[in-house]
Amino acid sequence: MNPARKRAHFEQMVMPHLNAAYNLAHWLTRNSHDADDLVQEAYLKAFRSFETFQGHDSDDGRAWLLAVVRNTCFTWLRRKGEHTAAEFDEQLHSMAQPTPNVEATLLNRAALASLRNCLEALPLEFREAIVLRELEELSYREISGIARVPVGTVMSRLARARKRLQECLAGAMDR
Amino acid sequence: MNRETPCETARILRENNDPALEEHLRSCLSCVINLNAPYYEAPAGLETKIRERLRSETAPLSRWRWIAIAASVLLAASIVGNVSLLITRTDPRQLVADEVLSAHIRSLAGTHLLDVPSSDQHTVKPWFNGKLDFSPPVKFLADFPLLGGRLEYLAGHPVAALVYGRNKHVINLFLWPATMSGPNAAVTRNGYHLQSWSANGMSFWAVSDLDETELRRFAAIYKQT
Repeated sequence: MNPARKRAHFEQMVMPHLNAAYNLAHWLTRNSHDADDLVQEAYLKAFRSFETFQGHDSDDGRAWLLAVVRNTCFTWLRRKGEHTAAEFDEQLHSMAQPTPNVEATLLNRAALASLRNCLEALPLEFREAIVLRELEELSYREISGIARVPVGTVMSRLARARKRLQECLAGAMDR
Repeated sequence: MNRETPCETARILRENNDPALEEHLRSCLSCVINLNAPYYEAPAGLETKIRERLRSETAPLSRWRWIAIAASVLLAASIVGNVSLLITRTDPRQLVADEVLSAHIRSLAGTHLLDVPSSDQHTVKPWFNGKLDFSPPVKFLADFPLLGGRLEYLAGHPVAALVYGRNKHVINLFLWPATMSGPNAAVTRNGYHLQSWSANGMSFWAVSDLDETELRRFAAIYKQT
């Protein structure tokens, strides 16, 4: 691919998804400064390896970019010593308490106000799954490609993440 | 756009203009997250920063860049030359042969020849379980009785040492998962003979003060068994 064509193709497939990239990086790092740096780094990496992109449309471009952003963030978080394997506590949490009444929690003002805190408190892999699914509205298949785990794992992470979130929100309810 | 929305129910209700939508949105966790969680949009200026960095990636090279590149090419060539000199001086197989021989002599000089003294391969093989990340092929050889085994540390990793006897001579057979497969080799050093080969992804080194023909026979029988 000649440089001018590469630029044009990148411009069309990848550049439009800056907000999605930034949103994901912000939720993963939980702060704007690091998100800013990591998104720049991810774009540079994406551009350098753009030859490997095989998608056909802008949706493919978004999933591809998000995979690069995700890897950049995970590498950085791991280097920082952040615990990135949720599996251990997935086990622990599977024997959990009864789920509180969903409706009551979601109608509660105080619970809603703590939504962001509860999301940020989720283990990294759970948070990633929720953000990609509920905010970016990606399909299970796309999330599975980005997080590099089977679709079944994506589904179980989502289920567990929702359960935890539910518990966290219930804990924040004013009664 | 043909993509699943996070909440299928909400989509259907919306499509049918169903008044139940509002109530659903309040009781569905997916919808609550989708509607209430912050969506962090890229700050103004981030796109410009990215474009600038991408531009410098593709900008045509200036004269100084060419000079820098020429200098790095020269440096790289010089490094390659030096490294290849170093490699020819210290052939890795020679280094391994040295280590194997030292381990053999060490095992005879001290009291630590056997961790698991047994002539039964079904005792010796399981003894290595949990001590190594591979399972060494321990074989019964008619002319060379098995004396036992021990754990060794060689060429930077733990390896299995199987000890066989022949009359009053001791044969140490060291083996580990091969990092590179080399040709069979026979080395003689300080009166000791060494035979090395690889098979089934493992490297084998047999060493003994046995005469060379006998050691070669040992290697051949072990390979065929």
